[in-house]
Amino acid sequence: MSHVVSRPSFLAARKGWAVGLVAAMIGLSLAASPAIAQNAAPAAAPANAAPPSAPASTPAAPPAGADAAATPPAADAPADAAPDTRGLDQEVQGLKKDVVDLNRDLFVLEEELLFPANTQVAVFLSMDVGDFFALDSVQLKIDQKEVINYLYTPREVEALLRGGVHRLYLGNLKVGKHELVAFFSGKGPNDRDYKRGANLSFEKGIGAKYLELKINDRQRKQQPEFEIKDWE
Amino acid sequence: MRLQRPKGPVLRRVCLWWRCVSTALAVLIALVAGTASLAQPTYFLLGHEAPDFALRAVAGSNVRLSEHRGDVVVLSFWSSRCSPCRTQLAALDKSLATYRSAGLQMYGINVDDDQTRAIEFAHGGQTVNFALLLDPAKAVSRRYEVDNLPMTLLIDRNGIVRYVLRDYSAKSDDLYLQQLRTLLNE
Repeated sequence: MSHVVSRPSFLAARKGWAVGLVAAMIGLSLAASPAIAQNAAPAAAPANAAPPSAPASTPAAPPAGADAAATPPAADAPADAAPDTRGLDQEVQGLKKDVVDLNRDLFVLEEELLFPANTQVAVFLSMDVGDFFALDSVQLKIDQKEVINYLYTPREVEALLRGGVHRLYLGNLKVGKHELVAFFSGKGPNDRDYKRGANLSFEKGIGAKYLELKINDRQRKQQPEFEIKDWE
Repeated sequence: MRLQRPKGPVLRRVCLWWRCVSTALAVLIALVAGTASLAQPTYFLLGHEAPDFALRAVAGSNVRLSEHRGDVVVLSFWSSRCSPCRTQLAALDKSLATYRSAGLQMYGINVDDDQTRAIEFAHGGQTVNFALLLDPAKAVSRRYEVDNLPMTLLIDRNGIVRYVLRDYSAKSDDLYLQQLRTLLNE
């Protein structure tokens, strides 16, 4: 008779454990799911995030899927399937070229829409020699309004000294008279802090306006020289 | 046939007690883990490209983030008033010494209103071997939506924000090293 009595008690004990375990598992899984999602998302993200940024930043970068599609058949395919893969490679190359062309057209279209030729103003910066001035930053004001404050890194300065020209600002201005003021900061002769300004009043007509900020060394004065050139 | 009432009240009581305890434990675990996960909402930049910036360094040249594409970059937002930030900067410095050769770049972005405090810190006794950047206008801090100090971001070689640590402790330090190794091995 004793086993009849004790059986429901054991069942109840088992049931209690089972309920507890299931509840614990549900609780843990519910609690862990956001954390898992948070940790898993970054790992999966590059694959998702790459396509939107790739065409904008690196026009020549091939789509990730294209390489993945092209390489495995070449590695796994038998020898007699070689002509097919060659054709596929050519197709992939053609598609890549199309993507690059499309990206270029989109870039031109975007510029034309955002900065139409009749209102466009572009300011460039170039440097020559740079023995008397180590460029740190340039602040640009158009009609008393600051439009950009650009910090230059040593790599950018090196590129400028090698003959590079940096498009500092691209914006829109209405037709009429305007004033451009540029402040150059950096290290001057004898490694002293150096800040100079240059200004130019210009007439914006119909058509794009291109201005160039030039930093030159004046050997005779042993000083840097800053000028703004108006490209007609 | 008359049903007999089950005997063994002690055993029944133990079973009931176990059932209550296990259920309460499960609920407690769920609550604790749930609140922990709620306390750290998903960071909006996770899986996205890190916004580019250029900042002045306390010592040395200006730094532009996009120039370090191809390296794993660790950004740590800190303040001189924040004690855990200092501890974390020292811990980060150690990891930089270990993993610099594997392509690790590290920057501490100061968010102090008074920049002189950051400069004092940089030139003081506790120095670090990575650039401490100044963000006087808080433009970068706003773009990265810094809501806690210290806050550390791990950016992979493609410029994607992969991990964020919103606090510093010995436990988070272990997690940081684990995540850092993952990115460096990619």
